[in-house]
Amino acid sequence: MLKDIRVSCSPHISERLSTCSVMIDVIIGLVPAMAAAGYYFHIRALVLIATCVIFSVATEWLCNAIRKKPNSLDDFSAVVTGIILALSLPPNLPVWAAVIGSVFSVAIGKMVFGGLGANIFNPAMVGRTFLTASFGVLMTSWTVPATVDAGMPKIAPENVVNARTQATPLAWSKRAIKSELGAKEYNEEHFKATFTGEVGGCLGETSVIALLIGGLYLLIRRTINFHIPLAVLLSAFVFAAVFYLVDSSAYVQPFFHLSSGALLLCAFFIATDPVTAPLTRRGMWIFGVGTGTLTMLIRIVGEYPEGVMFAVLLMNAVTPLIDRFCKRIPRGGKPSTK
Amino acid sequence: MRIDTKGRFSFPGGTHPPEKKDLTREMEIQRGPAVTEVAVMLCQHIGAVCQPLVRKSEAVQAGQKIGDCDAFVSAPVHSPITGKVIEVALRSHAVLGRSLAIVVEAFPYSPTKWPSFKLKDDFDENNYSAGKICEAVRQAGIVGMGGAGFPTRVKIEPNPRLPKEILIINGCECEPYITCDYRIMLEWTDKIIAGIRLARRASGCSRVFIAIEDNKPEAIEVMNAALKTCADGEDIKVVPVRTKYPQGGERQLIKAILKKDVPTGGIPPMIGVVVLNVATVAAITEAVISDLPLAHRVVTVTGEAIARPGNYHVPIGMSVEDLIEFCGGVAKKSAKVIMGGPMMGIAVADLKTPITKTTNAITVLTKEQIGRAKFARRQTPCIRCGRCLGVCPENLNPTKIAHAVKNNLLDVAESYYISACMECGCCSYVCPANIELTGYIKTGKIFLARQKKKIPV
Repeated sequence: MLKDIRVSCSPHISERLSTCSVMIDVIIGLVPAMAAAGYYFHIRALVLIATCVIFSVATEWLCNAIRKKPNSLDDFSAVVTGIILALSLPPNLPVWAAVIGSVFSVAIGKMVFGGLGANIFNPAMVGRTFLTASFGVLMTSWTVPATVDAGMPKIAPENVVNARTQATPLAWSKRAIKSELGAKEYNEEHFKATFTGEVGGCLGETSVIALLIGGLYLLIRRTINFHIPLAVLLSAFVFAAVFYLVDSSAYVQPFFHLSSGALLLCAFFIATDPVTAPLTRRGMWIFGVGTGTLTMLIRIVGEYPEGVMFAVLLMNAVTPLIDRFCKRIPRGGKPSTK
Repeated sequence: MRIDTKGRFSFPGGTHPPEKKDLTREMEIQRGPAVTEVAVMLCQHIGAVCQPLVRKSEAVQAGQKIGDCDAFVSAPVHSPITGKVIEVALRSHAVLGRSLAIVVEAFPYSPTKWPSFKLKDDFDENNYSAGKICEAVRQAGIVGMGGAGFPTRVKIEPNPRLPKEILIINGCECEPYITCDYRIMLEWTDKIIAGIRLARRASGCSRVFIAIEDNKPEAIEVMNAALKTCADGEDIKVVPVRTKYPQGGERQLIKAILKKDVPTGGIPPMIGVVVLNVATVAAITEAVISDLPLAHRVVTVTGEAIARPGNYHVPIGMSVEDLIEFCGGVAKKSAKVIMGGPMMGIAVADLKTPITKTTNAITVLTKEQIGRAKFARRQTPCIRCGRCLGVCPENLNPTKIAHAVKNNLLDVAESYYISACMECGCCSYVCPANIELTGYIKTGKIFLARQKKKIPV
């Protein structure tokens, strides 16, 4: 009566989850940020996102074909890499640079290590770092959102040649530290603009609200744990607050640091990349605190106005060490006989 | 007074598989089929394997002891039917692969007798001495009927080195589909209460908790009502625990109720606790009061593929095939026959596999359902999402252990405490990459055991 029976290891049922569904969740979480980018930077945003996604996917396909490995495009991880890379690029970056960035991201950042799950560094950040190192000027010239009136006095005075370009809020804060002009240069209005996104900056990092919505979605769906985002934001806040309290005329207030630059994008979407983050809870706290602190260290003390990508890459490098030191102990304690 | 059935007690980790208990939760315990042949396994418990006490073509009576062993950690086996031993041969065993069994064929003229048991009203556990209870439990061959099959006598016997204080009666039944313990609690309530009192007397425990998951409010109410009517019901407390898999694991249960950790690799008596399944305590009552051996048990036959799912009182040793046939066979296209529940049960390849003392359910899953299981889908690389770490009730690192085993690094697996794993299956259940973590860990344990015995892997 029963002929076709199968035998396998328990459990015999499983949750309806797959790598693909996890990645799609991340993509959904990135939709508000992409929408904000599209709203503020119009066609430039769409072109960059499309370019990065297409070339990331194509690179992954090509690498699999060369290595004669089964096609792994169905896990959608290349799409996520492409989107995150695009969102961390300046809006007026030429398309050819975006192509180079996405090919480098996937080929060198991920596929040479053996594909998804084996990469040490966050692929999107690898690509972005490569672009920053290779095309420094392109990567640091910022366009203000198309919705901002070009005639407004907020447009940085040194960019009169091209009124469509301006320094990012972070670059301003950097300049403030250097010239000791004080925190007066960026006022409350600036601070508010970072929430909606009407400031210069990378495609996806300008709108705090969009990033918060996406991050909240991921948290509610339990695609990410709250540990890393909380640790990143808290440590960055504390670090900035210490400097602000020491000298509030030279350093901007901590909330400003949280809302500007790629810190939120990093906290919710980049640092939480499970492949390159530690496994254990304790490890996640260390990783998050490390990322947040390094970011602020680079922003405030270092030469670059923005430090997220270096901070993430540095912490990625120590992730295996963190995992090794934060070993989980069985609930009943270490076994006595050993 | 309204009885609070909300479970507050729980343990960290765990998961929530679909319960699917509705298939059989309203089915009363019925008598199983009259069997013509049983194969009684000589090893149905943890500990030493029994030696056969009967020879081929010897006649045996229902309830006669047919296998025993002198070892302390062991339990005898009994024939459930009157008949003739036709052979002592190897039979498929759910866990051990193949193992010796005594095959008894019923005499054609002797109808299958069912153990009849009725608790007398004048029952008083003080009429039985602790030693007598332990001896009766041993003679009846009672083992833990929840799954592991640890000889009950060893558990309840007072041990001067490990004094016992707390007795936990496990009525959680956290596995999906299974309802046999639930029906036993509803229908054999008096037997359970009597068994609890006997076990308490034998083990010398002072406090008793009955743990029931809060998805069984009827059972919680019935037990509470029964405790009110009995004399010393105040000393026995029903504890509703949160519905979560694997709440019924004894380490998890102790953590949930007492907030204590059983040492890794240790046993509950080390912290003064004894955990007994509800079916086991019911068997203790039968054994002590009427000298009935453990030769029958309640088995839930369930799964979407079964025509007539239900809870049946069947002789131990009957084959899975006979029982499935008795339940109307399979209605839909079945794909997997599991002894036990879908989380920890073992898929059988041979339908002639006999039911043992620890078989609490036969679950027949359809193709559609196992399509959701790991082996049916392509395994993708681990993305280190950490879901397996989050659900692990033993606070282990399943992905590290599994990948160490996969790469044949047994020492690394050991350094991540592979032996502390209790194979509950939560990690495999949640893995988005379809990695059979539990399977790798089980394999690793087998390799380690072989390595220690110097058997080449």
